[in-house]
Amino acid sequence: MPPSPEIILNRELAIGYKHPLAVTAGDIRLGSGTHFLLARNGRGKTTLLRTLARTLRPLAGSFQTCGALQYLPEDVRFDDEMAPATIFRALLPRQRLGPALELAKSIELDVHKNYGQLSTGNRRKTNLILVEFSLRENQGNILLLDEPFSGLDAHARAAFEVLWENSQDNVLRLVSCHPDYDSMNMPSAVLIQNSAISFLDDPSQTWSGLKTQLN
Amino acid sequence: MRLFRLTAATIFRRKAWVICVFALLAMPFLLPTLSSAQEKPVLIQPARVLAAWGTLWVSALFWGLFTAARQGETNARFGLGDYFLTTGMSGTRQLFEMWLGVFIYLIPFTLIAATVCLLGASPADASERSMWWLSNGQYVIIFLLALAPLLALAIALASRFGAVAGFSVTLVLSVYGLYGVGYLENMLSQETNPLLEAVWLASPHYHLAELTPRLYYKLGAIPAGSFVGLVVYFGAILLAYAGLARLCFRSKSLA
Repeated sequence: MPPSPEIILNRELAIGYKHPLAVTAGDIRLGSGTHFLLARNGRGKTTLLRTLARTLRPLAGSFQTCGALQYLPEDVRFDDEMAPATIFRALLPRQRLGPALELAKSIELDVHKNYGQLSTGNRRKTNLILVEFSLRENQGNILLLDEPFSGLDAHARAAFEVLWENSQDNVLRLVSCHPDYDSMNMPSAVLIQNSAISFLDDPSQTWSGLKTQLN
Repeated sequence: MRLFRLTAATIFRRKAWVICVFALLAMPFLLPTLSSAQEKPVLIQPARVLAAWGTLWVSALFWGLFTAARQGETNARFGLGDYFLTTGMSGTRQLFEMWLGVFIYLIPFTLIAATVCLLGASPADASERSMWWLSNGQYVIIFLLALAPLLALAIALASRFGAVAGFSVTLVLSVYGLYGVGYLENMLSQETNPLLEAVWLASPHYHLAELTPRLYYKLGAIPAGSFVGLVVYFGAILLAYAGLARLCFRSKSLA
């Protein structure tokens, strides 16, 4: 049994560039499973992800992560001449290549088309497949996903949600997103509002309830 | 070695290397037929040597440095460097893997040039022929040793300042080391100038890696002592440029 991944945001962790964008009001402890990161535009979702990925220093305070980390920036892109199949072949472990190509087929990603010719949604599918099949089997994993759903069709989104469901024991996913339907279930959410980072944990909570807090 | 595989695969997919391979194979046989060697058959083999190694230098300096610079810029600008950094791949490792991904294309290019010389321009005399093998072997080693750090520098500069800067700075540095240093030496032979002398001393003497005239005039292999000296000299440049490249390298864009 691999150790469970964990992220601990200590009280008074301040994120931002020159000035603090948001600060944690208390300790936040995230375990394995999917956690949604919700905030209005420009409130610090990407900044928090970049801080946790250690590509940006916190302005104050500290945090701890336990697990193999992968941060997928929203704007990551590969060379236009590369086809998704070539990207997967170059970056994925050999034993994961087959399942990755199967998933690509099931969500209608043409793995032989050049990356430069793919639509935004299909590029997003390529990037998501890459990180999902790069998970390490014998240890806890942390995936920081910045707006992974933007441009993704409902069918592909559902396929990834199934994948997440099946691998939630040793993977912690912190997913920044702007949900597009009110009934979307969000049992665990990190909210950034009024420059405060807080954590809401309720199995019955949905986007409908959470968005009123953001407004 | 994920980034190495990605770099090598990206370069392979772009297919520009095919032009270099074609030029390296065709030019040594095509160019001599367009030159005065056509009228003097005895000149065909030296002309082939010139064409083979000349094409290699052009391919390495233009295709090699440009490709390296493009990889460095892409990695930093398009978020890949950021991604690999968060997976635990340090900047040093990213630089090394990208460098290796470009360098492995330069090795076959160099071997093609040497093979063309060995098969298509080898002297008839048996004793000269063994020397020919040795001379070409020495050229391969010195050439790769001279070019390797330039590729790393092109990647690093491009990751920080963009592909145009990465490519042009290393290209100018190479051309200066190949030809400019000679002009500087001529100036210094006319009059002494301590400042220019210091510049000359600190300059990368890439003309020492240009062994084509040795093959052209059949001057034979470099004596062992001098060859070791050259290897040490270019090895020292490699270390210095590797350090400089690491200092310059950024895995993410400044923007």
